[in-house]
Amino acid sequence: MTDKITLERKVLSRNDLLAASLRELFGGENVGVMNIVSSPGSGKTSLLEKTLGSLSETLSIGVIEGDIQTDNDARRIAATGVPVHQIQTGGACHLEAEMIRKALDNFNLNILDLLIIENVGNLVCPSAFDLGEGVRVSVISVTEGDDKPLKYPAMCRSSDVMVINKMDLLPHTDFDVDKVIYNAKSLNPEIRILKTSCRTGEGLDDWAVFIRDFVKRNKG
Amino acid sequence: MHELSIALEILDIVGKEAARHGAAVVRQVNLRVGDLSGVETESLAFSFDAVKSEKDLTRETVLAIERVPVKIRCAPCDGEFTGSGHMVICPICEGFDTELLQGDELEIEDIEID
Repeated sequence: MTDKITLERKVLSRNDLLAASLRELFGGENVGVMNIVSSPGSGKTSLLEKTLGSLSETLSIGVIEGDIQTDNDARRIAATGVPVHQIQTGGACHLEAEMIRKALDNFNLNILDLLIIENVGNLVCPSAFDLGEGVRVSVISVTEGDDKPLKYPAMCRSSDVMVINKMDLLPHTDFDVDKVIYNAKSLNPEIRILKTSCRTGEGLDDWAVFIRDFVKRNKG
Repeated sequence: MHELSIALEILDIVGKEAARHGAAVVRQVNLRVGDLSGVETESLAFSFDAVKSEKDLTRETVLAIERVPVKIRCAPCDGEFTGSGHMVICPICEGFDTELLQGDELEIEDIEID
């Protein structure tokens, strides 16, 4: 005789479970963790390069870089004076919680205010892999399509912030800023928008303020 | 993207529950998958079939997937509506002041055991 057993039980992947324990660890150590995601070339590393120098004057920051190959990005971050560890996945198109767990051996969480994880350039797979972060920032540049959020809904929905970068190039494109904001909010009404240019410096103060506020809120 | 990992987790949960009830066989797992969950159901079904044979308990288990569409509540319109695709804006007033009622589930509703 067949019995039906009601479970109503949420299914979490192994990654979700590990990410949850990382989140607890970060919470216990009072470290704010930011996961930055984007397509390749949107400007994640540049945004960090431009702002980490001044932020690290008052905040203790560590960076985990994720790439398939090379440590080029880690070198760029190292030049700002901030401690950085490069993960080279060799083939994996996204970072996973297990990789982060291993990378933490290179940091003393005890003294960190902020840990920034720059994910592999990819708007698809990273959306499905929780890294235990406290905030997820996605970056899109004006040289991409303004329908990007609609094409990558999972990433848009899982992001807390969308940074629209390379604003200095706007006159040379057909990119519609109002449209991309509308598209993003239609999937994720709570998403916060920032507009930046690493060339002109536009919006970098707002970006720095956002980071400081995040760290402060996290400690509070 | 991580459908194999989810399939393994389903087997793990189901295996433990079946053992708790002294079951010899799990006939069916009834899974609810929301359209916003990010899970590709065909890939999940494929992964599940690939790994279920590892244990006699689940060798013949059927994974029945119920898709759950997006449903939102719009405060200004005071109404509940089915969402369009992944969008959660109100189809009537196109406002953003909405609440997600369903659509991001990934849960085992129940299991059928012998």
